[in-house]
Amino acid sequence: MANLNGRARRKNTYDAIVVGSGITGGIAAKELTEKGLKVLVLERGRMVRHLEDYPTATLDPWQTKYPQGQLPPDELAERYKVQRRTGYTMTEYSQHFFVRDDTNPYTETNRFDWIRGYHVGGRSLTWGRQSYRHSPIDFEANAREGIAVDWPIRYEDLAPWYDHVERFIGVSGQAEGLPQLPDGVYQPPMEMNCVEKAFKAKSEARFPERRITMGRTAHLTAPTEEQLSLGRTKCQYRNMCIRGCPFGGYYSSNSGGLVAAERTGNLVIRPNSIVTELIYDEKAGKASGVRIMDATTRKDEEFYADVVFLCASALNSAWIMMNSTSSRFPNGFGNGSDQLGRNVMDHHLGVGASGEAPEFADMYYSGRRPNGIYVPRFRNLGDASTKRSDYLRGFGYQGGASRPGWERDLRKAGRGFGAERKAALSQPGPWSMGLGGFGEILPYEDNRVTLNRDLKDEFGLPTLTMNVTMRENELAMRKDMQNAAAEMLEAAGFKNVRGYDSGFAPGLGIHEMGTARMGRDPKTSVLNAHNQVHECKNVYVTDGAAMTSASCVNPSLTYMALTARAADHAVKARKRGDL
Amino acid sequence: MLHRRDALKGLALTVGAAATGWAGRAAAAAPTLGWTPTALTSDQARLVDVVAELIIPTTDTPGARQAGVPQFIDRALANYCDRTQKDLLIGGLTRMDADARASHGDVFVALKPEQQVALLTAYDQEAAVAKGQNPGQPHFFAALEDWVTVGYFTSEPGATIALKYDPVPGAYHGCIPLAEVGRAWATR
Repeated sequence: MANLNGRARRKNTYDAIVVGSGITGGIAAKELTEKGLKVLVLERGRMVRHLEDYPTATLDPWQTKYPQGQLPPDELAERYKVQRRTGYTMTEYSQHFFVRDDTNPYTETNRFDWIRGYHVGGRSLTWGRQSYRHSPIDFEANAREGIAVDWPIRYEDLAPWYDHVERFIGVSGQAEGLPQLPDGVYQPPMEMNCVEKAFKAKSEARFPERRITMGRTAHLTAPTEEQLSLGRTKCQYRNMCIRGCPFGGYYSSNSGGLVAAERTGNLVIRPNSIVTELIYDEKAGKASGVRIMDATTRKDEEFYADVVFLCASALNSAWIMMNSTSSRFPNGFGNGSDQLGRNVMDHHLGVGASGEAPEFADMYYSGRRPNGIYVPRFRNLGDASTKRSDYLRGFGYQGGASRPGWERDLRKAGRGFGAERKAALSQPGPWSMGLGGFGEILPYEDNRVTLNRDLKDEFGLPTLTMNVTMRENELAMRKDMQNAAAEMLEAAGFKNVRGYDSGFAPGLGIHEMGTARMGRDPKTSVLNAHNQVHECKNVYVTDGAAMTSASCVNPSLTYMALTARAADHAVKARKRGDL
Repeated sequence: MLHRRDALKGLALTVGAAATGWAGRAAAAAPTLGWTPTALTSDQARLVDVVAELIIPTTDTPGARQAGVPQFIDRALANYCDRTQKDLLIGGLTRMDADARASHGDVFVALKPEQQVALLTAYDQEAAVAKGQNPGQPHFFAALEDWVTVGYFTSEPGATIALKYDPVPGAYHGCIPLAEVGRAWATR
């Protein structure tokens, strides 16, 4: 028996376990396997193989089962009461990359839009791909303003790892030399259209501190040898990214990190494996591995490793830790600080302005650019001229100009019918331009998620309860987000400029983060400067959970850089015998 | 030329009136369908066929009929619409025939084209008024026009002949003369 157990244990033992296969799990797998470790990636959902498992990637508009690929209202109401809230995720084109809400419940003490994808690759298949660096002021802000706790690292600590990740995933963008938005390693930027170029010229003339640049996005415009060797190629400007890209034109775990990991020969991916807890070895004073529930057989199984990387997403990594109780950690794994599940952040959006361009009626474009323009943060940059008295931190804008097609006519009434209308709709509509804000949300201790052992999911596992709200600082910022966008469009001569604030519930930014923050002091933070759990050094948490503050830029690039940096640390520490 | 007032005269009395005696009239008056509806009755399908072609007629590019819009609407009713959407559309079709009988003594598809156009013009104006009064309550004709429009421009003839479609553009050119493209792109 002892021998058999020994053999079974050896069979389930790896150098490292990575929990989750999304945007950070893919990078963890790549970095650890390339540095020679035998790695097991555990993914709670089904297998999704690059190319093979993108069933809708090349569907033409007339090949959909439903009108415009929209899911029937009855199905949306029954199965996707949360996932439908984005307005763009729950279609026939991408339905299979999002969870069903009826079988994946959680509790909203306050409205929280938790948009999830449970499958190999996770949300790296459906992400927005915008890739910006946090800046020095982002890493210093908490300390300077006395908010929450200080980041235990500074920009310089992460800069080489941003380089490293950008080089691997491929980011197209324009260097701008702005301190609040550090430049990176870029492939050529995508092109602005006529209206965006004119907007840039006129708005920058009036507001020089509001730089307008091309969106920095994880699409290949000039692939490297390494990217080509992985089977990836140039972005084809189809703008069907959310279906999975048969060209590998944008970065996903499935087309990037996992492929790189697989070719080392050091990777095992086990899908349908729900990690339910970390196993803590009291004697050794560290984690010995993880326990899973096989989603197919519903049986528990254990896997062992020297080091565990939690890359399951901010809320699910926190869930695993909260569900991992022992006599050492009665209140959740590594939760001596009681910060686990707290400080939930996101980026607030749904506010900005739009207007109609007065010129270029005879100009158009070809190709569907999966990207827009970007206006880096221009408030509270540390000098007197950008200082706001009404709120802390800042926001950026994502936007773009385009000419609407036939869809502009929908949901109108009294529009006429017949040949004339048909001819009009066969031509593009007037140019319009929009700017939508992405604002920083501060970390608040009582913006938190907790474990709910009363409400169980389809596997009989506990669920989360969300209690996260927007506060005064965010609401004050939104007023400025709307006004500043409108004044830029007006300054650039746009007509019918309209500001909007369609409201925001946390979660809808799909940038949830902060639930196991990094910090200098184990009493007030869960993770140290290398993403190790303060109280258990062979467990690293490198997804959004680690974030000490949110910045206002899209966070995935930072998660990936933190992951690569932590992987490097783990491999070296393991070699030294420190884990 | 029929005026809106005349077209809608007596409408309240005829809406929902029993269709007995009129069944099969559409079959006699309109050309054969060439396809078998699943959600619509044959008479309703003939009506949708005629109305769709009036909304998006054949011009230098194919019309709604050639693009398969009536089949598209039948399929949407069968596999997509919820009860509210179905009732709105089917109720609208019932009303169109009732109005046609009230004002001209025959089902819609049997009317002269100018009579049909006059009725649709009246519905279009009525829909505009209704939207102004109660924006949340869709008018059947606005909904029908949406179905025809979506069905047409997402069809292969609509997307590739009336519009321009390029599944794999390969590049983005941000500033080119509209004349070089000629038509609106089918997809964004």
